[in-house]
Amino acid sequence: MKNLKPITSVVLATLLLGLIPFVSDSEKSYLVYFLFLTFCHIVLTQGWNLVAGYTGQVSLGTHAFFALGAYTTAMIWRADLFSWENYYFDPVTMILSGLVPVIFALAIGIPLLSKLHGDYFALGTLGFGEILKVVCIKGGQFTGGPIGIMLPSSVYTTMRPHYWTALFLAFLATGVVYFMTKSRVGLALVAISEDETAASSSGIYILKYKVLAFAISAFLSGLCGSLYAYYLFQVSPEGFLILRWTLYPVLMCVIGGSGTVVGPILGSLLMTAVFTVTSIYLPGIHPIFSGIIIILVMLFMPNGIIRLWKKGV
Amino acid sequence: MENRLLEIKDLHVSYGSVCALWGVSLHVPEGSIVALVGANGAGKSTLLKTIAGMNRPKNGSILFSGKHITGLTPEAVVNAGIAMVPEGRKLFARLTVKENLELGGYIPRARPFIQKSLEQAYELFPLLKTKSNQIAGSMSGGEQQMLAIARSMMSRPTILMLDEPSLGLSPLVVKMMFELVEELNRKGMTILLVEQNIYQALKISHYAYVIKTGKIVLEGKGEQLLSDPEVQNAYLGTME
Amino acid sequence: MFDYLTFGLLAQLFINGILFGTMYGLAAIGLSLIFGTMRIIFLSQGAVIILMAYCCYWLFTLFKIDPYLSIPIIGLAAMVLGAGIYQGLFRRAVKMEDKNITLLIAVGLMFLIENLMAVMWTPNPRSISTGYTSSSIPVGGLAISFTRLMGFVMAMLSTAGVTLFLKRTLVGKAVRAASEDIEAARLVGISPHWVNTIAFAIGIGLCGIAGIALSTTYPFDPYFGFIFSLKAMIALALGGLGSVFGALLGGIILGTLESWSSFFISGGWADAVSYGVFLLVLLFKPEGLLVRSVKKV
Repeated sequence: MKNLKPITSVVLATLLLGLIPFVSDSEKSYLVYFLFLTFCHIVLTQGWNLVAGYTGQVSLGTHAFFALGAYTTAMIWRADLFSWENYYFDPVTMILSGLVPVIFALAIGIPLLSKLHGDYFALGTLGFGEILKVVCIKGGQFTGGPIGIMLPSSVYTTMRPHYWTALFLAFLATGVVYFMTKSRVGLALVAISEDETAASSSGIYILKYKVLAFAISAFLSGLCGSLYAYYLFQVSPEGFLILRWTLYPVLMCVIGGSGTVVGPILGSLLMTAVFTVTSIYLPGIHPIFSGIIIILVMLFMPNGIIRLWKKGV
Repeated sequence: MENRLLEIKDLHVSYGSVCALWGVSLHVPEGSIVALVGANGAGKSTLLKTIAGMNRPKNGSILFSGKHITGLTPEAVVNAGIAMVPEGRKLFARLTVKENLELGGYIPRARPFIQKSLEQAYELFPLLKTKSNQIAGSMSGGEQQMLAIARSMMSRPTILMLDEPSLGLSPLVVKMMFELVEELNRKGMTILLVEQNIYQALKISHYAYVIKTGKIVLEGKGEQLLSDPEVQNAYLGTME
Repeated sequence: MFDYLTFGLLAQLFINGILFGTMYGLAAIGLSLIFGTMRIIFLSQGAVIILMAYCCYWLFTLFKIDPYLSIPIIGLAAMVLGAGIYQGLFRRAVKMEDKNITLLIAVGLMFLIENLMAVMWTPNPRSISTGYTSSSIPVGGLAISFTRLMGFVMAMLSTAGVTLFLKRTLVGKAVRAASEDIEAARLVGISPHWVNTIAFAIGIGLCGIAGIALSTTYPFDPYFGFIFSLKAMIALALGGLGSVFGALLGGIILGTLESWSSFFISGGWADAVSYGVFLLVLLFKPEGLLVRSVKKV
């Protein structure tokens, strides 16, 4: 029964947050945009958390899956794949945008994870992102080159669907991480991050779980990319295939506390606030702060905020 | 009263929450061979590593020539005059024999004498001289053990700690190894020897301690322990 | 359709590839030293190279110091910077079990340097133009650009210097020993911090040389560094860890590969070819193409 308490509080918080667009003017207030961005970050951060925090593997390919999701949405819409009236916030399109990254995650994840440890996995995923970038820039009409694919922005009426979808995805991502940690799968993942040899000798089929975590992470990133494509209406290498979309989730996760359920939420909220404030008041130089913050956090708080008051967890 | 070169007082060491040494006290008189024997996992290697500065003790003190060396870095311990030949030899396998030896004399105290130490090492181990440009990893087990000892001698130590020098060697080479230890001792080297080969170790040592699950359970002169019925039952019966 | 392919053209592409590849090689040697001693993937390497290129550019523009005369100044400054980076940023983190921390510090440093350069010197590309920038030396019917040749010579000399240092000096041997087994190195009295500081000083020192070579041959901008880091990683993966010469050769192979693929397939795709090769090497021969695996005793 005790376990129900965090669940109910998260559900309650989600429902309360869902009411905000009714209270605050979603078009004029900064709050709705800020929370939308925070929720997007939570989705990506929880995805990264699942791989790094629970299996000990650092992926530097979040931006690649994020962009794959966005490009999938844009291409389906542009090609009018199902001859539907509407592709704007179409669930099938969005789910497909999550599944395409999964295919790529499996294709590169299985060989990379079965052969390589830590360092090389990070480089391999980074290399994948770079290849994707070249393909998108050089893809001609197929990918729209450096300008990317423009979507009909005339369908935009309000920020509300973005807000609610982002909130739902953040809830979903957190739920997935929570479920994974409580289940047998989750225990296996923790065992992997703690001691790979021991986990393998106790009969856990490591590769399967690592790949599963990596694939789910890609799915979440792809969904988020699709959502963000509906927000920007232009899917370009410059908007999606930038390292920012990999580094921010990493930073947020580590600051909050990787390997925990709540840590990434705290980290996302805090850092989105910091970045928003610095980009308003210190335009131009705010990326410098991200660099400094990453370094300081790693040096002095490598275990995250959440463990500051939850010592020993 | 004998001169206590190395003295360990009430040493407690733990790995995380697991206690590995529970109040171990022993001492090594200058010019002697002291053996520390016991079964696998009794805490022998932990003790040597703690003396060498690789582990930090929770409690207790280590004195060397009357000075506290508890909690020093491994580098400082070597520089003070305590050399260790680690278990498994830990040579630099991709470096040559000569390079391994030179690095043995890396510490500031020994560096000015590197050439001299090198000549002495070659004198003691003529084989190493003929193989000086060979890659250390390509030598046989016995040769590697020789090199490991020679390397630690390069730091011109006052006391030499040997962790399982006979491990993985053929019986003939083991015999040579113990003869070598005795010879080094005759030349004036103080030796702290950790061994699983209890019979051989007790035979050459002047004094010995038996360690069991992190505690010293028995001590005495080497031959005395050899004839001790308790030791014979517990350790030697199964060994020979 | 390939009748435009003369021997001269192929040779020219080959030579250009080698000359550019040596720069990758220099960066890869530094990475190899840093990774070897501390297991740090120093992703900020490229950003530091660009920083050094800017230093060279400003010494030239403001103080009229010839790029080749600035070698000792920049080389020394870079070595000091390297030691500082270790002492300030990595000394604490190296001791931690979690290797992701050092990787992320390197990422943070890259972010910091890149954006600092963009703010201080604008994101516009820069290049150094001296009296000899466009001069070239005819060699057997081919024209070899003087500045690129100088870059090549600088790379060769510094590789030789590093090799001599590692093979002939006691400290250099200690660096090699620590790369192999840090615990054993400590037991013979080698201080890990000293060895790590030296590895960083040399690694960043080489960035200085690469930065000068880059600034005299190609235009550069603040964000070029990241790609450079990746290329150095690829060179390292090709050459295998633990060998200075292998790292240089890896860089040269990569440079040649890029030079040819950008000619035959078109510029932008050359990068994809390199990353493709990188992924293939990681998958099938992660110990490097040029290294026979050394058995651990």
